[in-house]
Amino acid sequence: MKFILMMNGSKADVEGYLSWNESDRQAHFEFLARFQRSLRESGEFVATQPLASPDEAKVVHAGANGIPATDGIFPEAKEFLLGYWIVEVASPERAYEIAGELSAGPGPAGVPTNMPIEVRRLVTPGSQGGQ
Amino acid sequence: MRFILMMNGTKADFAGYARWSKEDLQRNVAFMRAFSKELKDSGVFVSTEGLAFPDQAKTVRAGKDGEPVTDGVFPESKEFLAGYWIVDVESPDDAYKIAARLSAGPGPGGKPGKMPVEVRQVMSSHTDYGL
Repeated sequence: MKFILMMNGSKADVEGYLSWNESDRQAHFEFLARFQRSLRESGEFVATQPLASPDEAKVVHAGANGIPATDGIFPEAKEFLLGYWIVEVASPERAYEIAGELSAGPGPAGVPTNMPIEVRRLVTPGSQGGQ
Repeated sequence: MRFILMMNGTKADFAGYARWSKEDLQRNVAFMRAFSKELKDSGVFVSTEGLAFPDQAKTVRAGKDGEPVTDGVFPESKEFLAGYWIVDVESPDDAYKIAARLSAGPGPGGKPGKMPVEVRQVMSSHTDYGL
């Protein structure tokens, strides 16, 4: 079964993250690198993808004559996808376990972020999942 | 430049989609298949995934003792990711044009759905973050 583990956050959450000091950020990167290595070693890794800052986000509608109508204004509360991991696991419980590990990653002063990770099953036929 | 095109919706949006007639659903699925094929044929396709309905979604946090704490209750207003495409194009405008084509996909009765598509640049990999 394939699951996607999503990190979501508002623009305020992203600003909070950008205010972390260098050593806190470094510790978090090292945690993410170890996390990814362990998923590769267990054979559960499928793909991961970080997204650019929500500042650059646009919503696109089909306009008249097929011209795209773009809008960059979002509600303050909007949750933006910040990045995801796709894993292939034997059960939903295993996906939740992996998401729990991700949520336990270190934040400022090494305190676990406890950030919520949204876990969803993938249903794509012939799924490929990116890099 | 690589961009992710995301279709998001609330649970109410998903419930509305689930009520479409079989014919409308088939027309929409045929459109999506043709859309993916066109992206592949034009060489811009990177990946695509469809997600299971949000009623199966869970939020996971790290609990004490490393046990994952799951929660399946979300605000009514929460936008859930329904599916995404990643494309590799020359410019943001190219990504917006592709998103507009997606937005023009057929809804009930074959009328363009005019669904909003969120467009964000994706990082080439976690190496952009020093991983």
